[in-house]
Amino acid sequence: MKLFVSGRSAWVSIAITLAGALLFALLPAFLSPYGVRVGQLFVLAAGLAVAWTVLGGFSGYWSFGNAAFVGTGAFVAALIELALPGWSPAGAFTVALLAAMLLNGLLALVIAWPILRLRGIYFAIAMLGVSQVCYELVSNIDALRGALGVNLIDIVPKDVRPERFYYWALLLAATAIILIAICVRHSKLGYGLLAIREDEDTARMLGVPTAPYKISAFVISAMLTAMMGVIYAHNLGYITANSVFRNEFNLNVIVYSLLGGMGTIIGPIVGAGVMTYVTQVLLGDLLDIHMFITGLLLAILVLAAPNGLYGIYDTYRLRLKRQKREAGR
Amino acid sequence: MSADVILAVRGVSKSFRGLKAVRDVSFEVPRGAICSLIGPNGAGKSTFFNLVTGYFRPDSGTILFEGRDIAGASPVDVAHLGVARAFQIAKPFPGMSVTENVRIGALFGRAGPRDVEAVTQSAMQLAGLAELHDREARELTVGQLRRLEVARALAARPSLLLADEPCAGLNPTETAEMVAILRRARDAGATVVLVEHDMPAVMEISDTVLVLEAGALIAQGAPQAIARDPRVIAAYLGTEE
Repeated sequence: MKLFVSGRSAWVSIAITLAGALLFALLPAFLSPYGVRVGQLFVLAAGLAVAWTVLGGFSGYWSFGNAAFVGTGAFVAALIELALPGWSPAGAFTVALLAAMLLNGLLALVIAWPILRLRGIYFAIAMLGVSQVCYELVSNIDALRGALGVNLIDIVPKDVRPERFYYWALLLAATAIILIAICVRHSKLGYGLLAIREDEDTARMLGVPTAPYKISAFVISAMLTAMMGVIYAHNLGYITANSVFRNEFNLNVIVYSLLGGMGTIIGPIVGAGVMTYVTQVLLGDLLDIHMFITGLLLAILVLAAPNGLYGIYDTYRLRLKRQKREAGR
Repeated sequence: MSADVILAVRGVSKSFRGLKAVRDVSFEVPRGAICSLIGPNGAGKSTFFNLVTGYFRPDSGTILFEGRDIAGASPVDVAHLGVARAFQIAKPFPGMSVTENVRIGALFGRAGPRDVEAVTQSAMQLAGLAELHDREARELTVGQLRRLEVARALAARPSLLLADEPCAGLNPTETAEMVAILRRARDAGATVVLVEHDMPAVMEISDTVLVLEAGALIAQGAPQAIARDPRVIAAYLGTEE
């Protein structure tokens, strides 16, 4: 069985991803600690956005509640580490990370059956509800310590600066997420998801097993989101329900795709980069009005380029192709 | 049922809120035939396709495909058994190239994973799309889209192809091409059932013509006989009271 349906473009994308990741891994050498922290924000945003894209971008099932997996992942990891006193930091972290990913996969599997039957906006709203329910549970059940807060173990090696360490950790996770997204996109699963996005009824008549495909994408997306959430939580060091079940995790991942190009893998990465740069660097000194300007920019972009930056490039590419063809005649 | 009947419909009825869309229809389609379903608008032709592909469940009756009752089976299962459908309003995946569109048909059809590329290529050849392989679906004309629709359906290696008005909106050249494509599809081993309004095309291509009116089958037979059938003429043109 071939892993990739469209092998050549898959391998090209993988090579570009690895080269890009290597380049970004070298960046901290040239950046101030503040610059590295901005880098962290970008890499976190890109990883979360691509994890969201595996379901939302490929199949068109937009989740408005991915914070559920960020937060649940963070708290599962924190509570497991609490239960493993005396373990080495690396050992406890590994167990906590794997358990958080597994449990979030399971959570997605359990809620997928009822809510992936909903289409379009109904699924989006149901996921918003799921993230709200997870937040309330973690906040209100004392044993889960969402209100009180919980410390995570320190996993930074002695001779590495923490901001660099977490930059690299988030970069590694984001790279893994992007590689997995590329594998999904170019596999049979990916083609099936695209067919579902274009027209679910047509997909069914073409023989695409829509229910198992949607559930698989949802579970993968949840596990990858949880992975990002676990590392983010360690970066914070101390978490409460409010610090990880954040509404901006629900919304920003969608904004990045809208900005960069919905349904593509490069789109959310570019979108995350542009948004992070604009909000943290360009408008870094204008904290009072930066949300206002960000909102304005978004409104302009969505009106001017409804298919995002990738859409602009795509239109240009199509025009070039057509010109080339006509010139060839 | 003899072995060379691919589709046998027996006493199938379907109502929507009391409206009888298909009433007690029975007929057989021999393997390797090209069979046209005609009738005025609202006669139940599309409903009938939806019943065969599993989109609707009939209220009563059986639909035997290769001897197996598929009435009420899910669209995915029906597709895997070997029934493919080309839609009237072509529903290609616009952001994908012609090749990728056809490949989806092959991937989820009955070709083995190693044959996907070969099946994709041969379906494009058959539908005359080889030269357009890297064109994106949204760049195609209506006629090309219709051919893409048929190619994607054929890439699934179906033994029964249901084509919903493949010639609607096509000019005479494109219609002639489509007729040739459907013939080639039949020669490649698919039985073809089409719903079509283009009468010259129906007359030219069909082995059998079935006429539906108000959900009931009012006539069936060779195209020439159907064209002379007074019931059919009445259904299309109305009768003098």
